[in-house]
Amino acid sequence: MAAYQAAGVKLYALSYDEPDAIADYATANGVTYTMLSDPDSAVINDFGILNTSIPPDDHPWYGIPFPGAYAIGADGTITAKFFEHNFAVRSGPEQMLAAALGQAFEVEAAAPVEQVSVEISFEGDKLPMGVTREIVATFRVPSGQHLYAEPVPVGLVAATIQITDSPGILTYTALAPATSPLTLAGSGDTLQVYEGDVVLRLPVAQNARAMEKVDGVRTVTVSGTVCWQACDENECGLPASQDFSFQVEAGFPVLPDMGPGEGRVPAMNGAAHFKKMVDRRKQS
Amino acid sequence: MNIEVDTRGSELGPSQFEDADGYIMPIAPGTGPRRIPLSDFPTGPEVGALLPDVVAVDQHGQTVDLHAHRGGQPAVLVFHRSAVW
Repeated sequence: MAAYQAAGVKLYALSYDEPDAIADYATANGVTYTMLSDPDSAVINDFGILNTSIPPDDHPWYGIPFPGAYAIGADGTITAKFFEHNFAVRSGPEQMLAAALGQAFEVEAAAPVEQVSVEISFEGDKLPMGVTREIVATFRVPSGQHLYAEPVPVGLVAATIQITDSPGILTYTALAPATSPLTLAGSGDTLQVYEGDVVLRLPVAQNARAMEKVDGVRTVTVSGTVCWQACDENECGLPASQDFSFQVEAGFPVLPDMGPGEGRVPAMNGAAHFKKMVDRRKQS
Repeated sequence: MNIEVDTRGSELGPSQFEDADGYIMPIAPGTGPRRIPLSDFPTGPEVGALLPDVVAVDQHGQTVDLHAHRGGQPAVLVFHRSAVW
C-alpha cells in the first residue's frame, strides 16, 4: 500500500457486499484504500463480468463477478487487465502497480553491452497461496542483435522463462512486450522479434502443497531456467540459458473473518453480515 | 444461459476439495461460489478503452465517482467476490 501511495496510484476494491459490511471490514482491518459497495451488482453488470455460471436463485453466491482487476492510466484508459481462469488466483499488487504506471516492460537506460546478459528477479517478498507474483527476466541486448518470441522453427531458441515442474508451483500466462515481424530472406518465414532490451514476466503462484519450513518460516522454492538465443542480421549465436532458484516466504491464504474476531477490535461480524446478505437476496 | 463449469478435482478429506491446479478449499469445484467456466469468459472492457464510470458507496458511506475521485492519477480497480466470505 505504501508503494501505491508513494507512486500516486489510487487503489479501489469493489464487491457486492453491503455498505455496512465493507465499513466493518475496513475498520477491522485498518484498510487505507477505497472499498466500494455494489450490492445489486449494478457496476458488475455494467462491466459485463457477472459470473453467469452461477444460477440466479443460488443465494448468496449469485451476483458475484468473474474476479479480476484493471490497471488504469492517468488519462482513465485501461492499460492492462488481470483475469485468470482459476478464481483461487489473485494478481499480486506489485504487478498491478507496475501496469498502472506503464512500467511493466521498461528497462532503465544503461551503457551498451557486448553480449546478451539477463538479470532474473522475483518481484515481491512472499507467496501467499493463490496470489501471483512474477519472475522477471530483464535482458540487455547488444545493438544490432535481437531475441525471438515463440513460435520459432526447430533449431532456434525463443526467449522464455521456464519453471521446473513442481506440484506446488503453478504458472500463468506469460507477459511480454510487443514484437516486430522479421522475414527471413532464405526461407521466407516470418518470425516475431523483440527489438533491443527485453523484459519478460511469468506469473507464478503456489497452492500450499509444496511449502516447507526453513528456520521456522514456511517457504516455497521456485526454480527454473531462462533460455534465449540472440541473432544479428547475418548469423545467430549459440543457444544460452541461465538457471534461477528463489526461496520465498510462503503462507496459507488469509481466511475471511466469520467469527467473533479474536484479537481484533472492533470485530468484523462476518457471520452476521453473511446471514444478512443471504436473507436480503432470498426476499428480492 | 447454461455455461459448462469446471468440475475437475477430487475430495481429499472432509471439507478438503482440490481442483485441477491443486488448490484445496472447503467447497467442491463446480458448486457454490467455486464455479469457473471451462471456456473463456467475458472479462469486461478491452485494454485501451476508457474505463466505464463507476459510482458506488464507499466504506465511509459516501458516494464515490471513481474518475472524479482519482483526479487524473493512475489507479487500480479490483473486482473481488466478497469481504465477508
